Amino acid sequence: MAAAMRGVGFIRNIVGSLHLRLQILGGASQQLSYLHTSISLDSKHWEKNNRKVYPPQLLDEPRRPAEVYHSRRQIKYSKDKMWYLAKMIQGMSIDEAIAQLEFNDKKGAKIMKEVLLEAQEMAVKNHNVEYKSNLYVAESFSGKGKYLKRIRYHGRGMFGIMDKVYCHYFVKLVEGLPPKPEQKTSFDQAKDYVQSLKNRTIIHSL
Amino acid sequence: MKRMIFSVLVHNLRCSLLRIENRLLQITGLDAQLAPSLAVNGPSLLPRIDQDSQHDEEQTPSLLDSILWMAAPKKRRTIEVNRTRRRDERKFEKVKYNIEPCPECGYLKQNYILCGFCYAKVCRETALIRQQIKEMEGGPLRAPTVETVVLYEGETPSEQDREKRIVERPRKRPAWFSH
Repeated sequence: MAAAMRGVGFIRNIVGSLHLRLQILGGASQQLSYLHTSISLDSKHWEKNNRKVYPPQLLDEPRRPAEVYHSRRQIKYSKDKMWYLAKMIQGMSIDEAIAQLEFNDKKGAKIMKEVLLEAQEMAVKNHNVEYKSNLYVAESFSGKGKYLKRIRYHGRGMFGIMDKVYCHYFVKLVEGLPPKPEQKTSFDQAKDYVQSLKNRTIIHSL
Repeated sequence: MKRMIFSVLVHNLRCSLLRIENRLLQITGLDAQLAPSLAVNGPSLLPRIDQDSQHDEEQTPSLLDSILWMAAPKKRRTIEVNRTRRRDERKFEKVKYNIEPCPECGYLKQNYILCGFCYAKVCRETALIRQQIKEMEGGPLRAPTVETVVLYEGETPSEQDREKRIVERPRKRPAWFSH
């Protein structure tokens, strides 16, 4: 039984790697075929992003920054509450993010800090990142995990179904300095608005 | 001929029934819509009990009929409304700008708040001192009525420590614990 499970996992891994190789080959020729592959409940897509291999860069291309994908599954916390923390650290450098999470009183902050530290270590060990501080949080979000259902007893023999909530947390670290958010002045915004009005055209006209 | 007689009879019946109805209404006094032809100052023919009891009932309604029974939502809150409430600026986690490295240990700390690492260090040493005191006393409620002083390796009690209880710790004096 265990051998069969391992065998199935092995086959899945092979299939996964084949998928990735095909996608990479398609990308190299700059004509991506948009195949919609179905996702089963157990597929861990986020982690598979780490196994993506790019073709060697040409001399005149700018250096591609290293990317690290990391996640933690089935955290005993609410995805809505986790989202607030994930939103807070979006776009911060990793040191800043870890500092903020250290002094945040929420339960999810401790877990998120562990995940970030793990990801940092992974980046230095496996993903050829030179300086562990030279990373920033490119993407950070939470997702719904598999809930357990329990009965909540009310009066008069009524009952409700209680959900024991779990969530996943996903983070993507990229090497380099965090990108500065664009500060648009009010004059620029007004100019853009006027331009959008001027761009209006009548379709299907003579 | 027969049809005409029949219709006349029906009409007469109808009129008589209406008259009886009006008379009944007058007697019971329920036809308050009609204004009195003559305003006479005197006692009414029949006391109007029914109306009064009806008024009383309306003033003290049962709980189920009252408008202010229980507040309940009228409509389902749409996801747009929910999203604007949940993603409002004040609901976000605020970024702290008062974090600095501790000059003693190098870990991060908040301004004007004790460094967590240094405090943990002190707690550990204090726990060991307390353990030592517990061994010295040997039981509860045996604390002596004199002051206590903690001495580390290679230290002798000074003149001030003559009448104090001495707790010995077999290690070097930590840097943060001054004499």
